[in-house]
Amino acid sequence: MSRLCLALPAALLLALASAAAAVADTGLAPVTPESPNANAIRQTYWLILIVTGVIFVLVEGALVLFIVRFRGRGRARAQDGAQIHGATKLETASTIVPVLILAGIAAFVFVKLPTIKNVPPANAAGGALKIEVVGQQYYWQFHYPGGQVAVRRMVVPLERVVELTVVSPDVIHSWWVPALGGKIDAIPGRVNHTWFKAEKLGHYEVRCAELCGLEHAHMTGFVDVVTPAAYSKFLADHTGAATALGKEIFDGVCATCHGLSGQGDYGPRLIGNGVVADPKALEQLLRAGKNKMPPVGASWNQDTMDAATSYLKGRFGGG
Amino acid sequence: MAARAEPQPYRADWKRGGITGWITSVDHKRIGILYIGTSLFFFLLGGLLSLFMRAQLATPNEHFVTRNQYNELFTVHGTTMIFLVVVPILAGFGNFLVPLMIGARDMAFPRLNAFSYWMFLFGGVVLYSSFFAKGGPPKAGWTSYVPLSELQYSPGHGQDLWILALHMLAISSLAGAINFVATIHNMRTAGMTWTRMPLFVWSIEAYAVLLILILPVIGAGLTMLLLDRQVGTHFFVPDEGGNALLYQHIFWFFGHPEVYVLILPAMGMISEIIPVFSRKPIFGYKAVAFSTIGIAFISMLVWAHHMFAVGLSWGLQSFFMITTMLVAVPTGVKILNWLATTWRGNLLFDTPMLFALGFIAIFTIGGLTGIYLAAFPLDWQVHDSYFVVAHFHYVMFGGSVFAIFGGLFYWWPKIFGRMLDERLGKWTFWLMFVGFNVTFMPQHFLGLLGMPRRVYTYDQGGLWEAYNLASTIGAGVMALGVLIFFVNVFRTRHRGRRVGNDPWVADTLEWFAPSPPPPENFTQPVPYVQSARPLRDLRLKLKERDARVGA
Repeated sequence: MSRLCLALPAALLLALASAAAAVADTGLAPVTPESPNANAIRQTYWLILIVTGVIFVLVEGALVLFIVRFRGRGRARAQDGAQIHGATKLETASTIVPVLILAGIAAFVFVKLPTIKNVPPANAAGGALKIEVVGQQYYWQFHYPGGQVAVRRMVVPLERVVELTVVSPDVIHSWWVPALGGKIDAIPGRVNHTWFKAEKLGHYEVRCAELCGLEHAHMTGFVDVVTPAAYSKFLADHTGAATALGKEIFDGVCATCHGLSGQGDYGPRLIGNGVVADPKALEQLLRAGKNKMPPVGASWNQDTMDAATSYLKGRFGGG
Repeated sequence: MAARAEPQPYRADWKRGGITGWITSVDHKRIGILYIGTSLFFFLLGGLLSLFMRAQLATPNEHFVTRNQYNELFTVHGTTMIFLVVVPILAGFGNFLVPLMIGARDMAFPRLNAFSYWMFLFGGVVLYSSFFAKGGPPKAGWTSYVPLSELQYSPGHGQDLWILALHMLAISSLAGAINFVATIHNMRTAGMTWTRMPLFVWSIEAYAVLLILILPVIGAGLTMLLLDRQVGTHFFVPDEGGNALLYQHIFWFFGHPEVYVLILPAMGMISEIIPVFSRKPIFGYKAVAFSTIGIAFISMLVWAHHMFAVGLSWGLQSFFMITTMLVAVPTGVKILNWLATTWRGNLLFDTPMLFALGFIAIFTIGGLTGIYLAAFPLDWQVHDSYFVVAHFHYVMFGGSVFAIFGGLFYWWPKIFGRMLDERLGKWTFWLMFVGFNVTFMPQHFLGLLGMPRRVYTYDQGGLWEAYNLASTIGAGVMALGVLIFFVNVFRTRHRGRRVGNDPWVADTLEWFAPSPPPPENFTQPVPYVQSARPLRDLRLKLKERDARVGA
């Protein structure tokens, strides 16, 4: 009996593990994890899925069974069922058993918690890479330790532990890369932390999970996990008032409202727009906002601002 | 004083009075009907808004509504369904039923009762007037988190009208809750001790006490937000020394118990319906009653599980995980007791019973997904995603609203003296049951795939599109079920089958009064209550007497 007790869950786990591979990214479980914390979270999911799955089958099974077994079959309304008023032992058991099950789930969470929350020590890929993530209406901005700035697309080297500091200058946003761990809110007046260590080269989607206004749906981005060589090239491309940054700003910040080719959408047309041709006026607009346009550039340093104004002028200002 | 075998249906007094009679009425039954009718009207409005949302999300990059309108839709939909539908319709049932169930003549404070209803109606009117306000309706979600709901990010008057509407609704609910507590504590008929009270009355007691505890808190929070917006204070403005998280703590200290305000009376209805249609007493009366109190108590200690992603300390997150998991214990007790009530019963599948059984089937899923959200590291994945949307619709729609529909079909003959049509009722149930699951089951999967809530569009095709499309189709099926309910109401208005006092052969005192009950409620002296099933006791006594007379 006790061997059966052990073998059964083990077999179930094995079956689920193989099922896990089959259901990858179908929505039956969190997306395929590519970071240790995301992986531990998904293990928690599997455990809870098994436990709640069993309870689900028991309850719904009993419900269907009773409905079939005790259906009226044309008996008169006046005919009573068995007049049972309760059973103290059953009530006690139905209190204690759930407590034990929940204690088990909670214990599993506490066992997995260090893997999820603790930033791992330095490894062969180097010490932790510390990046500041600024969420603002309606884009993500990344500040690298060497002063480089990127918008919407975060580039990190493979296998390197990345420690994120998440902040917001305006409303609340929530940083969420499903494949690389859970979400953490970017809250004005607070500094939050999270981390990941990408174990596979790839292109991972970032979303804002907290309603942040009109373009919440389009506050997306990417984490690109690249080789160390490609990472060095990325850093070089993003130093100072770089064109690469200017293009990122247009694609990630301006295009959300002004259209992917500046043709105008929710916001006015950029092509041939007088303000775009005038870097001073444009800087003023980006820093302060106007009417429906949020102050998207309020937090930019001068290099970032110059990258934006010169790119926009070059592309749309005829200049 | 034998119960009349075929009582003449009472000619309800509003049929004499006309509109003035309704406006000036302080009768708990009329006020209850006003509450229920008004809530059903708002239910149609809120449901219509959700159909617009589902139309917008049916396929990727849809342009059915604008981004602006979409944010308005979910804000007004959520606010409507919680504050203008579920809370007031439960208040309506409570109003109509509590005095009857406890053998009383009316509520303790009839005028206060009328005040509650009119504040509710005007609150709803204020919310919907925001469609005509400068800047349009509120757009910051039914939670209206700061700083998004501050003047800088939400200019215009929609947000202010939202605050005003909620203030009015909070006052309405508070007055109503005080009235319920006063009534239940003081006006029970002779012999009705606490453990002989109908379980629905227990649940209204818990509902009312929770409301009294939490409404002042949201009132304070709303006032602070209003002052921030209109007077220039900065309670929630971080740059000026305020704190954005303070609002979330205040909101959820109210908001989470509010969720139990929405579900406990629904559970109370289930506890009334299942025994009657199983022809059995409720299994474990005391366990069900005390688990109601248990859920209400624990619900005050779980609010920060809505805030696991804000970066609370590990100790706090662990505390709120454990308290949240504890809610599952009394909830599990209830589900076990309902199941055990059907055990060896004579199950009759009239529409109220179908909704009650559907409630158990669906609510169990909603309860179980709550465990995923309680385990805080997992919550970091599913929080604010469509998984959460699916979860709370499983408890609020599949739970509360299914129970409410069960309650409508069950008490309709008592309220109006005529049955709703059973055949249409079964169509309503099956369309709603299937439509509900088709709508909300795929939303779990969408959340796990990474779809955040409150997005007006998405650009992924494939599974995202498939699940979203299924969800939209399901919403249409559900809408059809609801539509058939209203057809049912309309068709049986004059033609529905007339009933006597007690068409379901039920156990509680409301069935001792005529259908519909006259202004004084009971035409015969209410019998001394000797158990939680006074009407069954009476039936047995009459049978015994008939047997004696026959002999």
